[in-house]
Amino acid sequence: MKFRTLFVKIFLWFWLAAALIIGVFVLMVRISYNESLPERMRSSYGEALSLYAEAAAHTYDHDGLRAFNEFVARSQRESGTLVYLFETDGRPITSPGDENIAAVLHDIQAHPQQGRYYRLISGRVTWGRPVPAPSGHNYIFVARLSAPSLGPPFAVSTPRVAVSILIAGLGCYLLALYLASPLKKLQSAVQAFAKGNLNARVAPELGNRKDELAALGRDFDHMAERIAALISSQKRLLADISHELRSPLARLSVALELARKNSNEKSAAALDRIEKEGERLNKLVGQLLALTRLESGAEEILPETVMLEELVQQVIDDASFEAKPLRKEVRAIQLDACRVIGSPELLRSAIENVIRNAVRYTPPETTVEVALRWKLDNAVLTVNDHGPGVPEAELEHIFEPFYRVSEARERTSGGAGLGLSIADRTVKLHGGSIVATNSDSGLLITIQLPLAPSQSNNNGDQSQAAFSPAPLASG
Amino acid sequence: MIPVLLIDDDIELTKLLEEYLQGEQFDLNSAHDGPSGLEKALNNSYSVIVLDVMLPGMSGLDVLKQLRQKSSVPVLMLTARGSELDRILGLELGADDYLPKPFNPRELVARLRAILRRTSNTTPATSAQPVHIADLEVHPESRSVTCGGKPVTLTGAEFDLLYTFLRSPGKIISREDLTQAALGRPMSPMDRSIDVHVSNLRRKLGAYDGNHERIKAIRGSGYVYLLPGEQP
Repeated sequence: MKFRTLFVKIFLWFWLAAALIIGVFVLMVRISYNESLPERMRSSYGEALSLYAEAAAHTYDHDGLRAFNEFVARSQRESGTLVYLFETDGRPITSPGDENIAAVLHDIQAHPQQGRYYRLISGRVTWGRPVPAPSGHNYIFVARLSAPSLGPPFAVSTPRVAVSILIAGLGCYLLALYLASPLKKLQSAVQAFAKGNLNARVAPELGNRKDELAALGRDFDHMAERIAALISSQKRLLADISHELRSPLARLSVALELARKNSNEKSAAALDRIEKEGERLNKLVGQLLALTRLESGAEEILPETVMLEELVQQVIDDASFEAKPLRKEVRAIQLDACRVIGSPELLRSAIENVIRNAVRYTPPETTVEVALRWKLDNAVLTVNDHGPGVPEAELEHIFEPFYRVSEARERTSGGAGLGLSIADRTVKLHGGSIVATNSDSGLLITIQLPLAPSQSNNNGDQSQAAFSPAPLASG
Repeated sequence: MIPVLLIDDDIELTKLLEEYLQGEQFDLNSAHDGPSGLEKALNNSYSVIVLDVMLPGMSGLDVLKQLRQKSSVPVLMLTARGSELDRILGLELGADDYLPKPFNPRELVARLRAILRRTSNTTPATSAQPVHIADLEVHPESRSVTCGGKPVTLTGAEFDLLYTFLRSPGKIISREDLTQAALGRPMSPMDRSIDVHVSNLRRKLGAYDGNHERIKAIRGSGYVYLLPGEQP
């Protein structure tokens, strides 16, 4: 259990408070008891003891030592009271008793006119006074009373205090549990929701609580309901748009081929142009939909382990195939084995967009250099072209949709300005980062993706790299 | 004229395609929803069925599932572009190939011809002999396969893929060659369908001794069909 959780805090603070209250209470009882002792000693209690003292003196003085010894024994047997009798000069009649008795005796001898003396020692009262016998002879009487009869009214012995603090602790534990457990449930529901489980709800977990925490849980449920509805309607809308925009395009391309069959040489160029624009439109629709899906959170990732170096190699192969007619080249400088968690299809399209963008702007007879390096906990992919680069002030804007960099990069091969936006959103969705900088030769795009946990402490394991079923897309 | 059934809810598109394919020697018959398409497919003999995945009511994947229970007629799927899941599910359910929509009709004709070339070319005269490797028996003339004595049902593409593997077991075959052999067409960029077919084949045949893969992927090269003794 973490030490800073609300549960621990509530539990410890409440327990501390309860222990303090118990402690203060016990202290006050003890003090007030001790303070009220003289009062009680003077009252009827003291009168009873005085009679007892006179009886003891009378027994010894009148009936002799034997009867007094009997009196002492009976007193101890019946009430637990120890009785001692001394001559006024301090000589004991029977036994002298311990040092507490001696101390009381000493007090009485020092101030005989004051009458009674008592001491409270370890909960037992030792009480004494000078007492005259009927014969006129004076004695000093000291008695030690048994504890229970004179203890505080509410027993505050140390073990009992400890037990009550423990019981208070149990109560505080239950209280903390009662307060913190719905928060725990709420937290796990919120986490599940954030991870994409749109069906996560709190209400069934809370039972029939009616307090503010339950209300908070219900509010969360309402919010979750609403977000889930929004996302599902967004998804439906995207599917509808996709269908509605593409159906005319599909018909257009068939009609175009029909027209081509019935046309003569003169219209061929125009028809080619129509086809090209149709494809451009189709691609744009696809990119817009992809971007909207990524930004709305409607994109579902079924996470799987992606062998990034393999994916990058495939994209490079495809891109160099397309770059060759343009007399450009795409080359891998270094490809470390990197495993990342995510969607292979999304990552492929992100990397493809970046590399295609580089191919578009690198001049003929130059090479786009791609490198995938393993760095600490990240896979770092760099794509460097030999194009004009981007003005420093505009570097951070090139990931915005449809952003065009001044005049330097005019539309050449149908780039709609969405490729880098899609790459940016995809990389961020995978917990990575994408940065554009100007290198010595041209634009340098750097993508960082967090490595799969198993690889972070296992740099490019070759046996792992050798085992490579072709990555099957599943989402 | 080659009889082809097109199941697509876009009536205008099917009309245009009918006209276009007429010129390419295809006799296109069309259905505009799942149930009627399924009925037509089961009651007539078509050379190929072109099936749109996005159908109202009964989805194209459901049509495919039900069709495959009774018929092994080649199926070309039309998928929404970007919907990888549909494509993979379709290939797993036994579609022979797929084409993202919207498509170029010339590409459609090329895919149809590839499928027809493959299916009409079922008994290569030179190697019509049954192949018997380990626990696997393949009969090219009846296009049937038994694995460990039990019959295995394969789609046309899967059968051709397996037959290609068994003609050179233990040798690495590139993904391009496998695509050409199994799908009758060259591999296009970004084309992962051969991987889906391989994984279906793996699943249907099972592994040796339950844990040794029959077909191993070789990174950057392709796939290899392993003999039982060659387990790494």
